[in-house]
Amino acid sequence: MELVSPRVNSARLPAFKGRHVRLPCKLLKFQGSSAIVEACDGGQVEVRLSPADELTGTYAEIIGQVVDESTIKFMFGISMDSEKEFDMKLVNDVIELSFDPRFKKMFPQ
Amino acid sequence: MSQYNDHYGGGYMTGGSPYGGGGSPGGFGRKSEISHSLRPLTIHQVLTASQAHPDADWMLDDTEIGQVTIVAHISSVQSQATNSQYILDDGSGRIEARRWVDSSVEDNSERLGIVEGAYVRVSGSLKMFGDKKYINASHIRPIKSPHEIYFHILEAMTATLMWERGPPPRPGQNAQDIVPKAHQSAASAYSAQSHHIADNDQFAYLPKLHHSIITFMQSQPPSDAGVHVSAIARAVGGDAVSISDALDKLLDEGLVFSTIDESHYKVAV
Repeated sequence: MELVSPRVNSARLPAFKGRHVRLPCKLLKFQGSSAIVEACDGGQVEVRLSPADELTGTYAEIIGQVVDESTIKFMFGISMDSEKEFDMKLVNDVIELSFDPRFKKMFPQ
Repeated sequence: MSQYNDHYGGGYMTGGSPYGGGGSPGGFGRKSEISHSLRPLTIHQVLTASQAHPDADWMLDDTEIGQVTIVAHISSVQSQATNSQYILDDGSGRIEARRWVDSSVEDNSERLGIVEGAYVRVSGSLKMFGDKKYINASHIRPIKSPHEIYFHILEAMTATLMWERGPPPRPGQNAQDIVPKAHQSAASAYSAQSHHIADNDQFAYLPKLHHSIITFMQSQPPSDAGVHVSAIARAVGGDAVSISDALDKLLDEGLVFSTIDESHYKVAV
């Protein structure tokens, strides 16, 4: 299994097609065998689930494989729910910063 | 003058003296200071750190690192009698962490939430086992909130930039004055004691007037007689009494000394 899974928002998905990513997101609704989530930049993403997959709560970090620019296949999820609402703007700012060339030695290219 | 001693208390000497309180000067002091420092990193950074030989310091981008702290989720746990092994994954890479367990103390990791799938903060030192790096974890705990993940990334970014470029300039300070030297700890918040502070930072704790006096004196061409008080007064401004009081204070602290007469002063090195 691939050892890296960069944190992304919906706009950055196309660059990681076929690879694993981490998507912090808000669960909007279930649709068939998928979940529709909102990424931290506001874009909607379809998360394909298998029957055994569990996805509950409001906010989660979903680790999965990118199918196409707006779809990922669920591998596992970690809840981001807490007393304070998950700050999606902060998350998006950090994600965008992590792609800044100043920090390229901190994250794999 | 005694009024100033009370005002500053006992703590200022640590910052003012070039060698700090009780630390040894030069290389030895700096080495133990770095080994007590704690550096927030991404796992990718930890994996790029290297060691010249098994007992050498760990280096990252030409800087020594002591202890490290990371925030990652636990991909797998293996508990044995004497130690627990965790595979940690923070998105930038994976690394193993080992925590040595005292068998006489009950292991309540599960109860604390240190389980597979949980995000945790791990602190400890880097070790090598054969050709594999791992973290010898002195401390593991679940994160206190999901935002800790992002706080940690931002903290690691800040520390990385500070080691690369030096600390951000204080208001009023010239950015070009702060030049990080390759193997030197530019006043990093992560050092236990900052022995090697750039000269202009050494006096930064002083009140404005005193700081201006020192700065002016340092800017003058070196001479045995030092600087005349009237030159100081002209350059710094303010009335004679304030300048005189300020100089008394600097004399008391040992930062300046008088030379040929009481009107000439030099900055103590």
